[in-house]
Amino acid sequence: MKRRTFLQLGAMTAATAVLDGCRPANEKLIPYLVPPDEGVTPGKANYYASACRFCPAGCGILVRVSEGRAKKIEGNPDHPVNRGKLCARGQSILQELYHPDRVPQPLKRSGPQGSGKFTPISWEEGLAILTEQLKTLQREQATDWLALVTPQLRGTLAEVAASFMRSFGSPHHVSFDLLSPDWLKLANSRSFGNQSLPWYDLAETRYLISFGADFVESHLSPVHYGHAFGQMRQGRDTVRGHFTYVGGRMSLTAASADRWLPARPGSEGALALGMARLLLADSLYDNAAFAANGLRPETLLKALERYDLPMVAQLSGLSQDVIVEVAREFATTRPAVAMAGETVAFQTNGAESVRAIQLLNLLSGSLNRPGGVYPDGGAMAGPENSFGDLLSLVEVMRRDRIRVALIHGDPVHAIPQTTGFREALARVPFIVSFSTILDDTAMQADLVLPDHACLESWGDVVPLSSGRDKAIGLMQPVVTPVFDTRQFPDVLLATAKRLGSRMAAPFPHESYLEMLKGTMAKRLGARSGFDSETTWVDLLRRGGLFETSREQGKGYRWVAAATVPAPAEPRFAGDEKEFPLHLQVYTSPAFHDGRGAPLPWLQQLPDPMSTVVWDSWVEINPKTAAGLGIKFGDLVEVTSPPGSIRLPAVIYPGIRPDMVAIPLGQGHQGGGRYAMGRGVNPLDLVAVKIDGEQPQPAWNATRVRVTRISEKGKLVTVGHPEGSFRSELIEI
Amino acid sequence: MKKSWLIGGFVVAVGAIVTGVAMLYSLPLDFSERAPVQPLMFSHKLHAGVDGIHCLFCHRYAAKSPVAGLPAVSFCMTCHPRFGLEIKELEAYVRDRKPIPWVRVYSLPDHVYFPHMMHIRAGLVCATCHGDVTAIEPLTRFVDLKMGWCLGCHRQKKVSIDCWTCHV
Repeated sequence: MKRRTFLQLGAMTAATAVLDGCRPANEKLIPYLVPPDEGVTPGKANYYASACRFCPAGCGILVRVSEGRAKKIEGNPDHPVNRGKLCARGQSILQELYHPDRVPQPLKRSGPQGSGKFTPISWEEGLAILTEQLKTLQREQATDWLALVTPQLRGTLAEVAASFMRSFGSPHHVSFDLLSPDWLKLANSRSFGNQSLPWYDLAETRYLISFGADFVESHLSPVHYGHAFGQMRQGRDTVRGHFTYVGGRMSLTAASADRWLPARPGSEGALALGMARLLLADSLYDNAAFAANGLRPETLLKALERYDLPMVAQLSGLSQDVIVEVAREFATTRPAVAMAGETVAFQTNGAESVRAIQLLNLLSGSLNRPGGVYPDGGAMAGPENSFGDLLSLVEVMRRDRIRVALIHGDPVHAIPQTTGFREALARVPFIVSFSTILDDTAMQADLVLPDHACLESWGDVVPLSSGRDKAIGLMQPVVTPVFDTRQFPDVLLATAKRLGSRMAAPFPHESYLEMLKGTMAKRLGARSGFDSETTWVDLLRRGGLFETSREQGKGYRWVAAATVPAPAEPRFAGDEKEFPLHLQVYTSPAFHDGRGAPLPWLQQLPDPMSTVVWDSWVEINPKTAAGLGIKFGDLVEVTSPPGSIRLPAVIYPGIRPDMVAIPLGQGHQGGGRYAMGRGVNPLDLVAVKIDGEQPQPAWNATRVRVTRISEKGKLVTVGHPEGSFRSELIEI
Repeated sequence: MKKSWLIGGFVVAVGAIVTGVAMLYSLPLDFSERAPVQPLMFSHKLHAGVDGIHCLFCHRYAAKSPVAGLPAVSFCMTCHPRFGLEIKELEAYVRDRKPIPWVRVYSLPDHVYFPHMMHIRAGLVCATCHGDVTAIEPLTRFVDLKMGWCLGCHRQKKVSIDCWTCHV
């Protein structure tokens, strides 16, 4: 550029800047066209109690609404699950409501399948298309050619979905979540003959040992247990509860522990049994508990003979001294409680390992005791093997025996590729999605009938593992719907009505809201008449039905027929020589199983351990990384038997050298502008069928190898790369 | 000789610019901000003065909310087409279902919390801050809304001058 041109441009810029300052700074004042309804005062906020359905924990929320717009969400102090606290995910469901890429009205596919080209249509037309498809199935006596795929629904919504499928005459209703606690139900029904989920009384316990249960981030009810953990540490004057964490990766939960035991993946069950054996050998067990559960210490000790200290130490890769010390601490502190988590459960020997860990609770007399573990008060029946249901559906779809698939949620993203779900779904001629945003599943759909956002919906939210009391949160719309959307259960009701009187018979109610009121009336039952609108309004005002009456349910008791837990040797997909590293996929505190990725607040939330934002990463131990020539932020390729992905590396001292870890949630093909094409989906690496094993949800049983590609990983971190974890403080 | 002239001239020029800028800042030259041109020739003098309509009849939230509120467009239409008060521009807004884009005359920065209702509850008349709108036309902001001006009144009336009173 010439000197003269530069000066001219400079002068022009300066002049523009100065002149711009002369413009009046007055804002516009835009009045209403029509005055707002009674009860709305501009400038003054209203607060509505509702419930969060982002994750199954089901926290109670209070939403601040001004001028008819939801502005801020906080926890409901009266709700027994979260007691006024709320996690980042709950805070950000506001952005689900206002997401710029929400589906504003029903859509019909106009391009080829999967192209993401849609034409907007009216609800009348959308429902007509769906009804026509279903009527065709009815006419051809092929009602079982309909499939419904949902997350694990609870409460009234579960009833609607189940009755719809039952009265239509199709058995193919799969309610599957990647992270659903089926494994806990399975383990509990094997050991205690009681399917209900455990509730751990962390607030009152004095010694907690968590086997891979990341209860601060994601396990069962993170806000509830996070709060209880605070009580356990600081809520009592004289006692500060001790916490030991077992697991190969230092999660946020592990970072909060007093002691971290990085056991080898898959060895946790054996470690628990080794500890149990030490307790039995030293007679540190609780005598009364043995009597109450009809067990004899001698027989149990005999059955656990195999798990002697050297063998357990060798399996877990931990030192004998440490194992003995932890076992002694656990046995001599009362009350003490052991938790089993996803890291352990999603191995090939998961169910038995979880039972082994629950056995520790029996030995220390912590079953049904304060500071121990109780069956969850919110009794819930549900599938114990929804993964099996999913695989059988995949098989049916593969045989072209499904013509219409109704899908709520985003299974295309949140189910590992190796299940074959995506290929099988592509064979289904007509797919209906109820997503609020064009996510990976909706992109494959022929018809999108958008659901309301959480803050526009009615519903009852039955919390997961939240206490001994029954608590049912109520969701109510806090704003008038922003778009022309309809609630999923209302769409099912409307479709049933259109399909004729036989189909509509199980739904006598006018709308889902009426049905919900009916269910709540039934729940209140004989105790108080549900005759008036007052009771309903009062329930809404409080945010749900919270029962404080202690109706003592049945506690946990060891079933006589139950075998002694015997976790098999863990098996892994991939040859050890070719794939030397264990892969752990873990729940990101922001995205859960991926459903949080479309929300920008969650995208920009730095990961609490690595401080990474807006991306995926793989955590590698410094020693392993040095051996592979990988530096912080390098682009690496992670290859497993079924697939490979490229992502930046984070050198992380808090992970076993024979292990790498990738957070779940990124790598969407759809999901709006904030999620699309960002990061990678580690589920693409996960093998489901492992040699010599039945297909099972063993997401952590895959081996991988890591190779360096280049230094251009484009990693964005908020803090100093090693700012949040001082490597010299972590020994492994 | 020539050099000293040059330096002298430069100093004078810089001085002139500095004085000019200082004057621009100090003089009340922001007419357009204090009395902006409104999309409709609305007259407070006529409504509040001649017709004697009370301020809170239209600014109806002032007594119960931090903001005073503007009348909704439909609210204008309770009187206007009737009583021979036809205003074509207003009816055009109603017909097109467009809100009238009024230009704000009184505004405070975001870090100031000013609740109308508290000041009305304390018995202040609107004219204390907004001037006698029944007399001035066009509507003009006659206070500069600086913090010192707020504090003067707060001190005089012996109300809190704690930072957190307004900067919350």
